[in-house]
Amino acid sequence: MTTLDRRAVLGLGGTLAAGVLLAPGVSLLAAPGERTEASASRRWAMLIDINRCTPDCSACLTACRKENNVPLFGEPDRDIHWIRKVELRDKDQRRPTVSLPVLCNHCEHPPCVHVCPTGASFVRKDGIVLVDEHRCIGCRYCMIACPYKARSLVYHETRRSPESNPNVPIRSKGVVEKCTFCVHRLDNGLQPACVEACNSVGGGAMLFGDLNDPHSEIAKRVRTVTSQTIRADLGLKPRVHYQGL
Amino acid sequence: MIDEFATVEGRPGYFKLLALMGLLLLLGSAAFLYIEWHGHGSTGMTNTVVWGLPHVFAISLLVMASGSLNLGSMSTIFAVKNFKQFGRFSAFLAIALLAGGLTVLTLDLGRPDRLLLVMMHMNFRSMFTWNVFLYSGFTLLCFLYLWSMFQYPKYTKAAGAAAFGWRFILTTGTGSIFGVIHARDVFHSAITAPTFVAISLTSGTALSILLLVTTFRMTGRFLDVRLVHALRNTLIFFLLLVLYLLIVEKFTQFYSPAFYDVEQWILTGSYAWLYWGGVVLLGVIAPLLVLFNHQWGNQIGGILLAASFVIAGLFLFVAFILLAGQSYPFNMFPGYELSSVFQDGQEGSYSPTLVELLLGLGGVGVSGLLYLLGIRFFRLLPQKATAPEGWDVAWHP
Repeated sequence: MTTLDRRAVLGLGGTLAAGVLLAPGVSLLAAPGERTEASASRRWAMLIDINRCTPDCSACLTACRKENNVPLFGEPDRDIHWIRKVELRDKDQRRPTVSLPVLCNHCEHPPCVHVCPTGASFVRKDGIVLVDEHRCIGCRYCMIACPYKARSLVYHETRRSPESNPNVPIRSKGVVEKCTFCVHRLDNGLQPACVEACNSVGGGAMLFGDLNDPHSEIAKRVRTVTSQTIRADLGLKPRVHYQGL
Repeated sequence: MIDEFATVEGRPGYFKLLALMGLLLLLGSAAFLYIEWHGHGSTGMTNTVVWGLPHVFAISLLVMASGSLNLGSMSTIFAVKNFKQFGRFSAFLAIALLAGGLTVLTLDLGRPDRLLLVMMHMNFRSMFTWNVFLYSGFTLLCFLYLWSMFQYPKYTKAAGAAAFGWRFILTTGTGSIFGVIHARDVFHSAITAPTFVAISLTSGTALSILLLVTTFRMTGRFLDVRLVHALRNTLIFFLLLVLYLLIVEKFTQFYSPAFYDVEQWILTGSYAWLYWGGVVLLGVIAPLLVLFNHQWGNQIGGILLAASFVIAGLFLFVAFILLAGQSYPFNMFPGYELSSVFQDGQEGSYSPTLVELLLGLGGVGVSGLLYLLGIRFFRLLPQKATAPEGWDVAWHP
């Protein structure tokens, strides 16, 4: 190999690096595509009355798993949880132990969306935070950024079974998953599966609706009762509110 | 002062090292395929600790890539002409380390087959997106810097200055991957990124010392001991900078009661051994003690030992940031103890598996292989590295 050839190799390397640097800029010229038909006038939100949520009830969890084809791998630290029950014990033992469901808070300023390099995590017009499974590269940065531990990586292959919900895809290995507020049901005028289950077989602790509609039950309740969000200090403006905390 | 640059000869020792690095690359490739086939369930990662050993290797290599440009910058920017002879080595090593780190980082993705999406759909609020530009830009600038040193010396200053500026932004970007995350109490800090920059300076210098001394010895070339002593002095300065940043960070955190819990956990909790033993003792105190010692600090063996400590310290620093940062439980409900089937309120646990180790070592193999091929086929190193008569760095620690 001559010296000139080596220089050519260096030049080629530099050209490749330049290509990698500049290629992304091409996509800047592309107009962002419309993703959904969701209405920007809506702001979906949830209010959970923890006084009505009993520790032994898991109706919301079961309904979510069934509706969204969320499997259990039998590995506690790798199982996927779109919603889970968290038990809170007062360190000073002045308040009773309570149990409440925790799920994606669909924040107005979602850190998971901010850190996602490909835009796979995005906010729909109606404020629902979603993950585009076909765009997620499985980098898990969103899991690092979410303060609610609302996201799970799918660690194993999953398969469709006769019990699977045909209207929802099965969970895809290597990508990050989370609660969608059952967006497929909302778009058909239904409530999220967890809310429906809570109100039918559970204690009726969950209320779901449009915060932008002043006449909606949730808008009235959020205005009239004392409620709070988790880690409000982070300024993320979560859309899951808790009453009685 | 600068002797003629020459490629190294293919001696048996060289080919043994080449084979070793090739083996690491093969094992890393096999590990990647295994993870790809079996999913990340074959790793020790969980839904609490989502970044593990491969990320420790990847980020350590990336941090060292930035730091390895030190020697080039010292001659090009700070006019320490005696290091000009290491400029080519410095820029090439940066590229080699960057390639190794990025290889591991991308192969550990849950869906590495979708990597091109990173370039097609960009979210400019993401530090990862910024890092895509920073890494590729740094590689480009290192190539230009290298090219100018080979063929167009009149552009060396400009290319070197650009690479120098870019490397600071690059390592700031790497540190900011962690520093900007508000949810994580252990590493959310404005000082995290500068600490990464400082540690890149120490580890890059340390690796350069190790590689230069080893390469010159193995190829029977002459390396003036004063050059190593000068690098030792630089390393001491950088180590003191790291120590200063670590102290300032702890001082600031302990000033506010809001951080008492997390700081107490860092200093006495389950990862305290990694902080005290790895970051502080092995990464900073031990090398400083060796380098400040009258005898060891002036002996090549002592300097090599200290440099090894510094590199081990970098790996342990990154491991601490990553693993402790993810393991410290979220404080979603202050004043309450939490429990759930999703390990809420519990510290995360992580036990790396063999495939993760092999994947990480595969990155070392990529960097090592590139370095070895680089010195074999490009004239990166001088036949004799000397300093002029009268150049005095005889500061005795």
